[in-house]
Amino acid sequence: MRYVKNMLSQSALLAVSIFMVATTSLAAEPWAWKATLDGAGSGQAIVMPTALYVDAERQRYYVVDSGGNRLLSFSREGTFLLAFTAEGKLQIPYDMVRESADVIWVVERGRNSLTSINIKAKEVVTHIIKDGERVLVPDRLDYKNGIFYVLDKESGQIALLGSDLALQKWLACPECTSGFVDFKLTNAGIWALDQLDKKVVQFDAEGKLIKQFDVGQQVEFPVSLAIGPADNVYVLDRHAADIDVFDPQGNFKYSFLAKGWSRGELYFPIEIVFDPWGGLCVVEEGNGRVEVFGR
Amino acid sequence: MLRYYRIFVISWLAIVFPLAAAAETVCFTCHKKEAFSGKVVHQPLVKGQCGSCHNPHVAHFKGLLEQEGSALCFSCHEKEEQAFKQGMVHQPVRSGQCLACHVPHASSRNGLIKDQLSETCFGCHTKLLPKFQYTHNPYAQGQCYSCHLPHQSVFGQLLKDEPDKVCLSCHNSQDLQKGHVNYPGTLRDCLSCHNPHGSSRPGIVRDVLHAPFAQGCKECHDKGEIQGSTRSCLRCHEAVATGMLARHSHLTGKGENKCVACHSPHAGNEKNLLKGSQLQVCRGCHSDTIARYENKLYRHPKAKEGSCIDCHEVHGSNRIAMLRGDGNAICSRCHETQGKFTHPVGEKVVDVRTGQMVTCVTCHLPMGSDFKYELIYSGSKDLCIQCHKRY
Repeated sequence: MRYVKNMLSQSALLAVSIFMVATTSLAAEPWAWKATLDGAGSGQAIVMPTALYVDAERQRYYVVDSGGNRLLSFSREGTFLLAFTAEGKLQIPYDMVRESADVIWVVERGRNSLTSINIKAKEVVTHIIKDGERVLVPDRLDYKNGIFYVLDKESGQIALLGSDLALQKWLACPECTSGFVDFKLTNAGIWALDQLDKKVVQFDAEGKLIKQFDVGQQVEFPVSLAIGPADNVYVLDRHAADIDVFDPQGNFKYSFLAKGWSRGELYFPIEIVFDPWGGLCVVEEGNGRVEVFGR
Repeated sequence: MLRYYRIFVISWLAIVFPLAAAAETVCFTCHKKEAFSGKVVHQPLVKGQCGSCHNPHVAHFKGLLEQEGSALCFSCHEKEEQAFKQGMVHQPVRSGQCLACHVPHASSRNGLIKDQLSETCFGCHTKLLPKFQYTHNPYAQGQCYSCHLPHQSVFGQLLKDEPDKVCLSCHNSQDLQKGHVNYPGTLRDCLSCHNPHGSSRPGIVRDVLHAPFAQGCKECHDKGEIQGSTRSCLRCHEAVATGMLARHSHLTGKGENKCVACHSPHAGNEKNLLKGSQLQVCRGCHSDTIARYENKLYRHPKAKEGSCIDCHEVHGSNRIAMLRGDGNAICSRCHETQGKFTHPVGEKVVDVRTGQMVTCVTCHLPMGSDFKYELIYSGSKDLCIQCHKRY
């Protein structure tokens, strides 16, 4: 009788273990490839894309084709729509936002400029951003409620600029010895990523530091971050070519994706962005495309 | 349950202790015991536990060892296994080559270190001069451990502490201050001017002086707002400024002045005033890349010798990985014929997986690979079918 009892309890234990292993492996690969945004539709491959801007209102993806000096638009379904070159005037575009129906802003590496483009008026205006005498080196860019958020590559700090491009405030990580390489705006504030210290930092909407945590145990060379629907923090590792996921307190949850050239694989990824439709978009500089993953 | 446990313990004692005791007599009937004696003897050997490392009958590894490299050592030294994964890790430790510095049985030195300590270090660090015109005393005496840790450290160059603190652990700060009469501000950053091993200048000041430094401190330290900033360097080094505004650049890193992440503004051991060897400087930020490729079976000679700048720009580049040219141009500088025949490459040849131009680095990974010719996949089939699916 005792033997039977033992056997039953062992079987139950085995069943639970199998269930746990199965659910863990499912949790480890929750994302599947959904779409690819590439240059095929435009007749010209995208060369070193560096950023993706998602226009929720117009349901559009905009891919910054940094090597091709173009901005490519795609529908929400991933269909290529248009290639925009500002009549050949763009010089190494790096990031972009859309301020209104007619006006877009582009970080141009080639001119070290935050360039405004009025599509309707066909007007391209370069703006060199300064803090006193010091010229900023714009890197990542976002826009919300009339404020431009510009990551200054030289200082690794985020500059908040008014609509007149006057500097209002700097956001910096007081305990970081390095500087930020990426940031994302959320309803709760601003999340930023420190590359060399391998640290994620959260500010509230007023720019006050709320919390920070290290990701160095998991991440080798962080280059971008995104905040998921459950406030989980997704960190893109450029060299490991994967994404590491942390809960909002900084506890590691799982990694997914791997280095490669085929569909669903990453090569020199440079940015991750969540779209408003539940997709996780990865800009791959090495493979010249943006891959969209869904659950 | 208790009964099974009791049987297990008795069986274990019966097996282990007679064998351990037997090792004293059995192994040394053939192996001369004198060859395993010394001032310091490895504990398992003292206890006659040859079987803790060796299998007397058959084993997968040379020397009838139960495991290979550090895996064997860490089977007992568990704490070290964890500790040696933290921070900057010495290359032999990363590669699991404990025997690069230690001997397994007996030594005349503590920690079962091989030979004279400095000879052990110089055995690998062959580019280090054994002597300088002016040599730092601990270096001259072969006391590498005065400043460096042998396994790992949270500080660069495996230093025991922050560089200035290492210096102050021997040198009195007040005496130092007296020796630097015109120093602008608080004395700090000793290695910016001094070579901690030695140099051809008195005071072990580094051999090559930055021109403004040679003229005095005021050239840079009296310029008000631009003092110490990246811009203060770019005033003279204008060509570098262009690179810094490329798509990818090293306009990043710690501190207000990005240039001093790699260069000393005062003095260096060579004309570029780098803060160490090229590999040391690059490793400061790219330790993950170096660790990933250093143990690969096949590596490009330049990668192997740590000459990063042969292929990569150091300040900025519009290409991925800050390469000096595209994936063809950079290779065909040396591999002249490879750009002209063999597999088609170039703008008209498209990688069907990505739509990108096929280049040398589509198939090769010069940084290092486990496949011959530094191929990304095995050249026998796996590589080709990436694109040529029908084959």
